[in-house]
Amino acid sequence: MKISKPGNRPTLRSVIGRGHLTVALVGVIMASVSLTLLGILALRVYADHNLHLIARSIDYTVQAAVVFNDKAAANEALALIASTEEVADAQVLNAKGQLLARWQRPETGLFSELEMQLAKLFLAEPISMPILHQDRQIGSILLTGHGGSLMRFLLSGLVGIVLCTAISAWVALYLARRQLRGITGPLRSLAAVAHAARSERAFDRRVPAAAIAELDNLGNDFNALLDELESWQTHLQNENQTLAHQASHDSLTGLPNRAFFEGRLMRALRNANKQNERVAVLFLDSDRFKEINDSFGHAAGDAVLVSVANRVRAQLREEDLVARLGGDEFAVLLTPLHKTEDAERIADKIIASMQDPIELPGANEVLTSLSIGIAVYPDHGATPGTLLDAADSAMYQAKRLARGAQHTAGSEHPVADV
Amino acid sequence: MGCAQTLLAGLLCLLSAGVFAQAQTPVGIADQRARSVTETVLGILSYARWPVEPAQLRLCVVGPTEYTDDLLKGTTQATGRPVTVQRLLADNPAITTDCDALYIGKLTDTERNRLFTSLTGRPVLSISESDDQCTVGSLFCLRVSDEQVSFEVNLDSVARSGVRIHPSVLQLSRRKTAAP
Repeated sequence: MKISKPGNRPTLRSVIGRGHLTVALVGVIMASVSLTLLGILALRVYADHNLHLIARSIDYTVQAAVVFNDKAAANEALALIASTEEVADAQVLNAKGQLLARWQRPETGLFSELEMQLAKLFLAEPISMPILHQDRQIGSILLTGHGGSLMRFLLSGLVGIVLCTAISAWVALYLARRQLRGITGPLRSLAAVAHAARSERAFDRRVPAAAIAELDNLGNDFNALLDELESWQTHLQNENQTLAHQASHDSLTGLPNRAFFEGRLMRALRNANKQNERVAVLFLDSDRFKEINDSFGHAAGDAVLVSVANRVRAQLREEDLVARLGGDEFAVLLTPLHKTEDAERIADKIIASMQDPIELPGANEVLTSLSIGIAVYPDHGATPGTLLDAADSAMYQAKRLARGAQHTAGSEHPVADV
Repeated sequence: MGCAQTLLAGLLCLLSAGVFAQAQTPVGIADQRARSVTETVLGILSYARWPVEPAQLRLCVVGPTEYTDDLLKGTTQATGRPVTVQRLLADNPAITTDCDALYIGKLTDTERNRLFTSLTGRPVLSISESDDQCTVGSLFCLRVSDEQVSFEVNLDSVARSGVRIHPSVLQLSRRKTAAP
């Protein structure tokens, strides 16, 4: 199969139009040519018959004139008949073959030459008819036909052919355009929907129903495909969201993980740097976690972690963030912060929230406490790393003082919460 | 060379024939007129119908005539019917019984009147060779010239005679009467 270049490919419009036009023209031309041929044949037969009739009536009229060898009478009678009939040339010869009378159609108008040629081309040969008198040939008549009516027939046939061709070409093009609309309309909407789906991921658009069965089927299949694509896309998005959440959150407590916290911290620092604000990082560590884990089991440890997470969360403002950095370590980001004392007050509230015992699975209860180290930007570090390190060491400082204590990095006299 | 000579000879021959034909003019014209008259008379006879068709057409020549030399030889019609021609005197009573057609030459008025009176009521086709008026008597009156022999028809006589003449002949003659 030959594949043409894209530039040379004909449009649907030209293909359909050409098809219709070809069918119409072939039909008209075949019909008109066959009709014209039949017409010429019939006309030829009639012309021949007519010529014989004319010859017979000339025979009847000029017979006496031939018998009496009367040229004037023969000419007169001949002209009388021939001038009103389709005769180009009529001759009356006597028995010796001498010309007795002759009549020729005068050359009138442009067409007489053309008519003669047509007559010569299509009509029968000139006919010769003997003149009989008392069963003896006394002369003969030579008649040549005249192409007048043939030419009228051909001319009107030609006009008819041209008219019919024009009309059928117009009808063919009109039908082609109508058919094209039926085809290109659905195709265009199909293309628009496909384009929207490809470029804008607009999987919610659908192809409207089409009048032509095949196109309607195509549209329906395409719509079904879009349905599948849409559900697949939704599924993928949900999956992505789940995965993203899973990647940035701790599955046990539902808190953000270290990576998420560091990201938020980085953004908060950049923001604070720009707006000249303060940011506090709190490092939290459970004091008795290892002990609880060892004596009550990992399930109890998990319950403690979840409980601690919830209680810390409850002490914070909407804009603040708590994350589980790993094991029993938590971090809190306070932003914006007005004074370092605010951070210390919040730390106190967190420590206080640990005073209620935590219920463990199996009707046990346990008390835990948190040691909190506080580091404030820009006082104790300018980068997430240095801030976290400062908060971490402040936390150890607090742990060294007492369980359930807080310590702010850089302060001389840590306050012990007894 | 021989071919050209033959051709030339043929041409000369033709020319001499023409010259010869012209040379014999006086006799030739008389003969020609006689033949033309014969043809015309036979033509008229061929278009005539008698109440009782005679098996043999009897043509009688009456009076002194100019162009009957050829006619008198007797002839046969195209249908095969023989035409017998005989000369009779104008006062011959056999004219009324023995002739189907009459060819009338120069007669005095008296002779002519008597002849036609005797023919009254008989189906006899009469042709006058030289009746300038063609008003009384003859059915046909010949007009003999060098070019052709024409004729006139006296319709009254035709109607009275009982001989039927084909209309196309009547038409042919009427046209001639009208012509100058």
